[in-house]
Amino acid sequence: MKIEKILFPTKFRELAFNSLESLLVLKEVGIKEVVLYYVIPREDVGFVPYGGYLKEEEERLREEARIRFEDWQSALSKQGIKSKIIVEVGDPVPNILSVAEKEQVNLIVVGRKKRKGPELSFVGSHTLQLITRSKFPTLVSKYMVQFEYNGEKVTRVNDDIFKKPLLASDWSEPSARALDLLKSLNGIIEKAFVCHIIGVKISKGLDKSELYRIEKESKERLEDYCTRLKSEGIVAEPHLGAGRTPLEIIRISREIEASMIIMGTTGKDRLHEIFMGSTSHRVAEMSELPTLLVP
Amino acid sequence: MSTNFVRLVLLIMTTLLPLSSAFAGGADHPNMGETLPLYSVIPFLGMLLSIALFPLLAPKFWHHHFGKVSAFWAVVIVVPLLISYKGLAVYEILHIVLADYVPFIILLGSLYTVSGGILLKGTLRGTPIVNTAILTIGTLLASWMGTTGAAVLLIRPFLRANARRKNRTFMVVFFIFLIANIGGSLTPLGDPPLFLGFLRGVPFFWTFNLLPHMVIAAGILLAMYFAFDTYFYKKEGITVAPDDGTKEPIRLEGSYNLIFLAGIIGAVLMSGIAKWGEVSIFGIHRAVQDAVRDGLLIAMAVLSMVFTPKTLREDNAFTWFPIKEVAILFIGIFMAMIPCLKILQAGTKGELAFIINAVSEPVHYFWITGILSSFLDNAPTYLTFLSTAIGGFYPGVVESQAVSLLIKENPLYLVAISAGAVFFGAVTYIGNAPNFMVRSIAEEAGTPMPSFFGYMIKYSLTILVPVFILITFVFFI
Repeated sequence: MKIEKILFPTKFRELAFNSLESLLVLKEVGIKEVVLYYVIPREDVGFVPYGGYLKEEEERLREEARIRFEDWQSALSKQGIKSKIIVEVGDPVPNILSVAEKEQVNLIVVGRKKRKGPELSFVGSHTLQLITRSKFPTLVSKYMVQFEYNGEKVTRVNDDIFKKPLLASDWSEPSARALDLLKSLNGIIEKAFVCHIIGVKISKGLDKSELYRIEKESKERLEDYCTRLKSEGIVAEPHLGAGRTPLEIIRISREIEASMIIMGTTGKDRLHEIFMGSTSHRVAEMSELPTLLVP
Repeated sequence: MSTNFVRLVLLIMTTLLPLSSAFAGGADHPNMGETLPLYSVIPFLGMLLSIALFPLLAPKFWHHHFGKVSAFWAVVIVVPLLISYKGLAVYEILHIVLADYVPFIILLGSLYTVSGGILLKGTLRGTPIVNTAILTIGTLLASWMGTTGAAVLLIRPFLRANARRKNRTFMVVFFIFLIANIGGSLTPLGDPPLFLGFLRGVPFFWTFNLLPHMVIAAGILLAMYFAFDTYFYKKEGITVAPDDGTKEPIRLEGSYNLIFLAGIIGAVLMSGIAKWGEVSIFGIHRAVQDAVRDGLLIAMAVLSMVFTPKTLREDNAFTWFPIKEVAILFIGIFMAMIPCLKILQAGTKGELAFIINAVSEPVHYFWITGILSSFLDNAPTYLTFLSTAIGGFYPGVVESQAVSLLIKENPLYLVAISAGAVFFGAVTYIGNAPNFMVRSIAEEAGTPMPSFFGYMIKYSLTILVPVFILITFVFFI
């Protein structure tokens, strides 16, 4: 799994360009093209009550997007990265998924939303739908985030995101694919971390001997993952955690000062998502770090 | 809601408080319609003119603020009514919301949701025969799945089928004439005005009295369409596309939604037949069968949402926006409409007696309901003239009884009002809600559409109006 083509959908929110800039380092590991994509929400130009279609407004939004993208393109071409602009009217989530399929990209990069309200999530409803349904690795980029840490408000800039990635594995097939993706980033990683969490659901009700067996097996698997990374020339360090999985992953990421979190994701259906949640989605929602989810 | 808007509403309320004393003459009077002043219909006219003019003159403002405009006119009338008529006004407001607005939105919402789950896929070639067949099928479906539902189902396949054709504008215009309007004249499910009539006591199958009118209008329009399309098809010199292996067979995805559609038809029919007594909701008496019908309609929409894959709705470009917009606009319309309806129902004792005296023959009702339906929304226009007719013939009689008497003794008047409201909805883009939706989808797909006046002058006045004149001579004179 190698990242050669990125789909970068944007709503031109603040710091979107900085987020794109933070990806330019991928040039060193073979990125060739970035597809810059803007969806004009259909509701913004169509279905004007009793009016029809705001054709001029569509033209204006298209031109605005083109001008902004052309500015970004010059930064990409300076790095020797090809780029392509696509502007369409439609529904953001299905349109992004369909363009990703059509362009056969290797990575989709989506922005975070501003944290507000009691939920304090970095993932908006569109991004959540996207990471639930995407067949492609999806990075929830969080260039600048504000969050509470030890009772204090902290502002963090995630500009060197591939420096110290943390791979959180549950030993599933998507986790193995996430490991492959991590290996392809050799050359821009300073040090990688691999963690596994013995979740509450697993440890609850187990006798000590069974718990020790799981612990031993997890440590061996972690070592195996690290060895595979080391064989690619990536310095790797294992970490075993226990407790509530999403919170534990976030705790470890802070302790080791990781720069991003990589996880496999099973793409659970909507009903499951509503009632059970998904560990990878929770981490994307709660962590202040960019989160790369690999289906 | 922005702070500025709240300030604006407060300002209006304080300005209107002194005005409310003018309404106060009827504070102790049980018949609101006989005491309401003529200028109490201004908010209704303002609401309808806002719908007619803002999209033309300030489309961007309207797009972003139509909800506030609707709320403005609602507040302008509701506040003085509440101050002057107190409990009576509360009753009338609750009555129009619970007995008209809520069932109206539930029916439109459920038809829209269910039909948005049906997707016609496959390769269609836009020949004159295929296009005329699509228009005929759509016209027949419109009375059963609503003009909006039939338009949602067919407009995208219709546009795709004709993507290679040069002259597409007239096709979309005929689509609006037939599927978005005239086709919906046979049942209360077809067009919103007829459902409002149904809610007020017009039997479900009574609207089949419009069959001869519909057959003549649709028959002439389909024949004209076929002639135009054949002419342009030959002129364009379209050749048969080579079979590149991408031809997909025609198929209907999400066809299980037809079961839910049948459920909607069944529920509406049931509410017209069953008599299960009454239930009081916030002091408003509603028939139990009506409440059950609304529950069933919601259930059909929910089942459609649960069983239809998200991707199918996405392929249909299904969005809640059009139905949300109708719900927001129509709460304003229904509120602002209260004085107008009450005055008209008071007959010659009300301030609008001059209208009741002037509109006396079926031909008057057909053309006046029609002309106003062309420029104002046809649902409130229908109710206004239904009230005018029952106010003229049966002043002071309870509405449901008056409607029964009208059907029994003067049915031609109701036929004229119904046909006028439904048929003339096609005369302008603003006559009926699906018109602008079809136009919007066509323009998004790259089909050039005429301007508001271009549509009227080039198509409505030259094609539709002569058809309506013929219908007048055949049925109303």
